Amino acid sequence: MANNKKIRNFSIIAHIDHGKSTLADRLLEETGAVAKRDMEEQVLDNMDLERERGITIKARAVRLDYKADSGDDYIFKLIDTPGHVDFNYEVSSSLNACEGALLVVDATQGIEAQTLANAYLAVDAGLEIVPVINKIDLPSADVDRCRNEIEDIIGIPAEDCPAVSAKVGLNIHDVLEAVVRDIPNPEGDADAPLRALIFDSYYDSYLGVVVYIRIIDGTLRTGDKIKLMSTGAVFEVTAVGSMEAFGLKPRGELSVGEVGYLTASIKNISDTRVGDTVTLAENPASEALPGFKAVQPMVFAGIYPEDGARYEDLREALLKLQLNDAALTFEPETSTALGFGFRCGFLGLLHMEIIEERLEREFNLDLITTAPSVIYEVKTKDGELRRIDNPTDYPQPDDIDVAYEPIVKASIITPQEYVGALMDLCQDRRGIFKDMKYLDNIRVELHYELPLNEIIYNFFDALKSRSRGYASLDYEMYEYRASKLCRLDILLNAEQVDALSFIVHEEKAYARARKIAERLKDNIPRQLFEIPIQAAIGSRIIARETVKALRKDVLAKCYGGDITRKKKLLEKQKEGKKKMRKLGSVQVSPEAFMAVLKLGDDN
Amino acid sequence: MFGKKNRKPLGLYIHIPFCKSKCDYCDFCSFVPNNKGVVEHYTDALILQMEDWSSRCRNYSVDSVYIGGGTPTYLDIRRIARIIDAAYSNFKIEKNAEFTIECNPATADYEYFKKLRRLGVNRLSIGCQSTHANELKALGRIHSFEQFKACFEDAREAGFDNISVDLMYGIPEQTEQSFIETLTAIASLGPEHISLYALKIEDNTPFAAMRDKLVLPDEEAEYSMYSHAVEYLATRGYERYEISNFCRDGAASLHNLKYWHCDDYLGLGAGAHSYFEDERFSTTRVVRDYIDGLEIIGSDINIVASSEKIDSAECMDEYVMLGMRLAEGIVVADFEKRFNTSFAEKYGYRFDEYLEEGFIIKDETGYRFSSKGMFVSNYILSDVLELGE
Repeated sequence: MANNKKIRNFSIIAHIDHGKSTLADRLLEETGAVAKRDMEEQVLDNMDLERERGITIKARAVRLDYKADSGDDYIFKLIDTPGHVDFNYEVSSSLNACEGALLVVDATQGIEAQTLANAYLAVDAGLEIVPVINKIDLPSADVDRCRNEIEDIIGIPAEDCPAVSAKVGLNIHDVLEAVVRDIPNPEGDADAPLRALIFDSYYDSYLGVVVYIRIIDGTLRTGDKIKLMSTGAVFEVTAVGSMEAFGLKPRGELSVGEVGYLTASIKNISDTRVGDTVTLAENPASEALPGFKAVQPMVFAGIYPEDGARYEDLREALLKLQLNDAALTFEPETSTALGFGFRCGFLGLLHMEIIEERLEREFNLDLITTAPSVIYEVKTKDGELRRIDNPTDYPQPDDIDVAYEPIVKASIITPQEYVGALMDLCQDRRGIFKDMKYLDNIRVELHYELPLNEIIYNFFDALKSRSRGYASLDYEMYEYRASKLCRLDILLNAEQVDALSFIVHEEKAYARARKIAERLKDNIPRQLFEIPIQAAIGSRIIARETVKALRKDVLAKCYGGDITRKKKLLEKQKEGKKKMRKLGSVQVSPEAFMAVLKLGDDN
Repeated sequence: MFGKKNRKPLGLYIHIPFCKSKCDYCDFCSFVPNNKGVVEHYTDALILQMEDWSSRCRNYSVDSVYIGGGTPTYLDIRRIARIIDAAYSNFKIEKNAEFTIECNPATADYEYFKKLRRLGVNRLSIGCQSTHANELKALGRIHSFEQFKACFEDAREAGFDNISVDLMYGIPEQTEQSFIETLTAIASLGPEHISLYALKIEDNTPFAAMRDKLVLPDEEAEYSMYSHAVEYLATRGYERYEISNFCRDGAASLHNLKYWHCDDYLGLGAGAHSYFEDERFSTTRVVRDYIDGLEIIGSDINIVASSEKIDSAECMDEYVMLGMRLAEGIVVADFEKRFNTSFAEKYGYRFDEYLEEGFIIKDETGYRFSSKGMFVSNYILSDVLELGE
């Protein structure tokens, strides 16, 4: 049995791009968990998507064995966490499995919005924070400024904190010693009935569901009969062990304080819920651990297979993703335009993009996604309060008494020269200015109350483009507020296309309607007849465009009898037509839907 | 073994890939030779290729010869004569075969034409494109309308009584008015045949590189130019027998009709295309490879650039695709005789939805495009044809 005085469970948290994954790589290398020659960049980010985008989406856990300078052997459990605001729920669930966190700060950037947000999450979870200043090899690194910021802004001592370069492998040893010295060992009652916290899980087609757990009390062994406390479901454990850099390693037992995995021939994806407590069936704990705050999806969109026949595949894929992504929700919906699909809930736009990309790559699906929406609350004239996550369900204007929309508290950290431009942006997005404070003589933090539906409408891209990428955004749900909202419908050839409807503030309706109509006009291929495009609120048409009839589509010359070339041309044309969806009498390409979805106001 | 009557008809196409100057829109196999050597070698290679094909074509009787380019008349008359003589000695060319050569203004004079006539050439196709200096310049053409007229008159003088003129619409700087002027001027000259092509910007041409800078007539203007041409030329006695081709007094191009009717033709020379014994194939566009492949004994250069066996389903698609280019459209009886398949079951029902809107006309002999249908024929054909679906 491992001596829990010699166990250190910790996470690494950081602002995006401050070098978290690189530091994790270095720790793996330094402790010999990964031989240098096997090292590839971002070992822990084993999704292709993560490596490509250079971000961490899923938390990862790995065991490191470390012989400290004191001569004692330690077991480290390192949990790598995502850095983006959309994935905070991943961070918080991981943090609950730890006693401490390394807070990585980029020596050239200092504290950023997400550094703070993550630091607060860690503090909330009762973790000991060990700051690590990274990227000290860069010429613009300012270690002293960084130490001051950490002390001033976060309020933790940073005088002796390690200053490293994960990239070149400088001072990594200091980090390992700091982990031993500053992060407390886990506590817990080895003799009490088993209580283990599920902090992540995923589906493996060979092992079934693999559940990541942290043992809070007691011991878990292979062969034990376990019970999941929320559902009462009982399983026999087929293996327990630890997560190594390159896979799972069975260890026979996990004892108090340890982080590891279990498998129990769990087939049903919905059985394991992150935050649930695992106990023994025969000697159950009396009380479950406090679970995590259930994550609430904030952004909704319809996802449809391009090929209607792949509806079942899409359902399977969503189920599999949902297993280790508690924040993803979905339920079936039907659209007259797009057929059968799912209304999915996401934490934010990045989360939505990631899910789409994973569906397309890992499950080889071609998708059509509708414009994202948020949950609105509508009090109808007959006094009923309805929650609307699908624009199609939005009542007619005459039936609405009051409509409410979600408002978030947003904090934007930006170099001061962009303050003007960003205030204009927030103003334009119906933001209410709360306050502004200087973090130091360069950076400013702006606080706004912003409608969430403005944020999901390309806000992030606009923010980045107006600040040359320097500004960062964090937001949290604040309240529902009465607002003048309306549903904008799109009609093609006088037929309403349900999948293109969306909800918008009255003031924005005209501009948005015109833009969408224009976009559609540019993206709907011309056909043999003229296609009117109309945008309407209720029965009132507020914008119109026309896709002119195709007049000329003919190959005038067959070059010296080159028939093959002409035939290839027609084949390509036919291929293109196959991808079209017939909406009433109009053929619409998937690109047209995308064009509306990706509608930005800066371009 | 075959009497003359039993021989199958064949069209012969001979490609001359040389020009004095390359036009900015052109993506044909043509270039400006940098020395006379390549021209001489090419002529030799062409004759070698004819010899190679000679025996395989023994059972064919050539009823049309078409020397195209490039600019065939870029070659001096001595080389043209060698090529034509070689054609006569390697293939059985019928006495009254249609024998066309392409030519550009200012590349041939009265004497040249006279000699061509004596060599048996009986049809001339002259590239004019436009009668307006600014439009010719915008196309990168190096002749004037006056030079074209002189060329035309020389040809008439020399005895060519079957002349085709190439015109274009949708070219930079062209207006509906200037196009009408071009049509009027050409119709007044009274050629037997007019080919009217829409400018298409092909990849890898100078035009493609400057696409954004070109001031082109829009689609509406093109549509009205084309419609106007069809109407106007009819009043001048020219009937449109194919999407881009007009003729008077039945002087349709026999050679081009072979393409539209899916009949056999053999293409010789670099970049030439053939449809021969149920196979479509093309020869390399790389003139160097073409010459070396034929001239160097034991060369491992394959001068065949592509080849494809056409099965009967594909052939039916092609037959419809090409036949629908013709004003007469698909004659159902001809289709059914050739393929022994019901046209109505195979394609007819797919055309029906276009009948109502007036894109397709159906009568007792078959199916054809209406005028507006012809102009969107790709859209409709890509829907109607099977194309391996």
